[in-house]
Amino acid sequence: MAETRTAPPERNRAPTGRGGPRARRKGLSERALARLFIAPSLLVMGLVALFPVIYAMVLSLYSYTRRQRTGFGGLDNYVDALTDGRFWSALQFTLTFTVTSVAAEFLIGLGFALLMNRTFRGRGITRAAILVPWVIPTVIAAQMWFFMFNVTPGFINTIFGLGDFSWIGQPGWATFAIVFADVWKTAPFVALLLLAGLQTIPAEMGESGLVDGANAFQRLWYITLPLLRPAILVALLFRTVDALRVYDLVVVMTGGAFDTESLSVLVQQFVVRTPDPGFGSALSTITFVLILGIGLIFVRMLGRDIMVGRGAER
Amino acid sequence: MRKAMTWLAAGGAFVLVMAACTPGGDDNGDDGDGEAGGELVWAIGGAEAQPGGVHQQVAELWSEQNPDNPIRIELLPEEADQQREQQALELQAEGSGFDVLGVDVIWTGEYSENGWVESLEDVRAEIEEASLPGAFESATWGGELWAAPYNTNAGFLYYRTDLVEEPPTTWADLCQVGVAAAEAAGIQPFIGQGAQYEGFVVNWLEYYWSAGGELYNEDQTEVLFDTELAAQVTQFMADAIAQGCYAPGFNTAQEEPARNEFQQGNVVFMRNWPYVYGLVNEDTGSPANGNFDIAPLPTVTGEGTISALGGFNNAVSAFSDNKDAAIDFVTWAATDPEPQTLLATEASVPPTMESVYEDLSDDPVMALLGEVLPDAKPRPPAPQWNEISVEMQRALHPAVNGQGDIQSAVESVRDFLEGTIE
Repeated sequence: MAETRTAPPERNRAPTGRGGPRARRKGLSERALARLFIAPSLLVMGLVALFPVIYAMVLSLYSYTRRQRTGFGGLDNYVDALTDGRFWSALQFTLTFTVTSVAAEFLIGLGFALLMNRTFRGRGITRAAILVPWVIPTVIAAQMWFFMFNVTPGFINTIFGLGDFSWIGQPGWATFAIVFADVWKTAPFVALLLLAGLQTIPAEMGESGLVDGANAFQRLWYITLPLLRPAILVALLFRTVDALRVYDLVVVMTGGAFDTESLSVLVQQFVVRTPDPGFGSALSTITFVLILGIGLIFVRMLGRDIMVGRGAER
Repeated sequence: MRKAMTWLAAGGAFVLVMAACTPGGDDNGDDGDGEAGGELVWAIGGAEAQPGGVHQQVAELWSEQNPDNPIRIELLPEEADQQREQQALELQAEGSGFDVLGVDVIWTGEYSENGWVESLEDVRAEIEEASLPGAFESATWGGELWAAPYNTNAGFLYYRTDLVEEPPTTWADLCQVGVAAAEAAGIQPFIGQGAQYEGFVVNWLEYYWSAGGELYNEDQTEVLFDTELAAQVTQFMADAIAQGCYAPGFNTAQEEPARNEFQQGNVVFMRNWPYVYGLVNEDTGSPANGNFDIAPLPTVTGEGTISALGGFNNAVSAFSDNKDAAIDFVTWAATDPEPQTLLATEASVPPTMESVYEDLSDDPVMALLGEVLPDAKPRPPAPQWNEISVEMQRALHPAVNGQGDIQSAVESVRDFLEGTIE
């Protein structure tokens, strides 16, 4: 809608500009000039962002024995990857991790954000305290939670009197521990994004809801959440894409044991640990496409949302 | 092997920061810029490579004696896998940032086949004469010498002398004695390295080898993997976990968590490397202090002892700008009693020079090493070792932990080994 509003005047101006003698004297049209100016940055972005992706796609078509290229393999690497049970179990873990961690982070983050959005004494300190986990580097947070959950030294077992319960030494609970560490670390980030969204919502909206006799839950459900939708989508997009790439938590906490191997861990193994650049690139391309696809769905929803939002404003 | 002397949380975090921050070695743009002689860079990792560690002392000793070619340590991460990755990144790019490489005994084949390291055939006679045979063998591949032995390693059985009278000679005995002693003392029987990583493969191989199993024949042209034996030892380990012979932390423990359990008095027995001896001896607050001793590792059959051979050799990078000086350094570090003795006296890092063991036979660690090293067995230093190890971890770790079928796990290992022979 925004597009159609601004487009007509330009379209009207363009033909006369391009055909008229004035434009020729000036040289390039405004639009062409803009393209020219943007071109270098697009080129740089293209090189930085697209080159590695395309290069990986090219590599994925060759077969290798360790680091030595042995010939063109076509789609063999993809067939190998998609028929490997290991890929599917890594995908399963990655999706389980993403869904559970993002859901928990969203709920906890929303709670934090609503809390931080209120005015009360010590709000500044509360905000700072909530953000602390997010500032800690992931590997360090992971190592910390490893020590918390592991049997030695076993802080969690000591605190809750669980004896020698092996959290990260068995399937299921190992996944739980990793999700837990991720939620602990990134819920504040979600809270931060949602808080930014909350602060754009005028207080009068809630107040008029109050006047109309809506209770707290109704105000949250019918006023705050719908208006927060764009911020929620941005937060979910960031977290989902991030969670799909999970690597450091897994490597530090379990090393991929007990059904906790993620796609990124698998990719890293074939790119770096036991190099097979062809197979590794195929895996990373599959991961890329998967994440891109999920990312696009969010961007789609987000784009529509912003447009619908703008339309509603007018 | 991987030795860590750092403390719990702070130590672990520090190590990870180091791992994250260690550059690929490109930060030393000063070498190769036409200076005659010039500084050598020694890419080595682990606790002893850190400031104050024995590798640093060895580097200082060399630099004092060779002011024209001083050597500087480029500190690599703690974990062997990550050290290899850092070196591979530099070498894959044919970078001259590293002159001397600290090479784990299992990387020899891979590095030589990739053309990353210089042949040391010119100084072979000198090195062969001075070194222990097992360590020397670990530095060769395809009949050629690719690295100079530097330090070696073998696993010990640590046991509590106040809880058991004498060390068991079979793993089954260990569990029987251990469970009884642990119950009486209210602690756990045994810990080793059971997390899913290289150390797990080492532990598993010690059972498998001591039952008489082999991976390959001598020149690695034929697979001798015995699935029946492999299934037996895997079953033994699975039972040991299920029946509580292995402490609950076994399947997530690397060297340091295992040491902590022993040092805090939580286990009767532990399989670990020699470095633990000095640390527990110095820790007067430890319940194990003064109440422990070391013994050769038990076997499945009760005969002899067997340990996986660990350690690091020094190789010369094929892309070094200063190869002659680098070769001089690695030869010196392998054959001069001074650096070799430093390893033993300063850090309980087992040297590779035979004569040092005779000189230091009063030291209990060195005496026991002298006893077990002749029976220590190197993992095949094949170019594929890393892939084999990852596959063994993937197949056997779940099987040992009661997830998945043991028979199909050992068969998949055999199939993978078959696939490495062409």
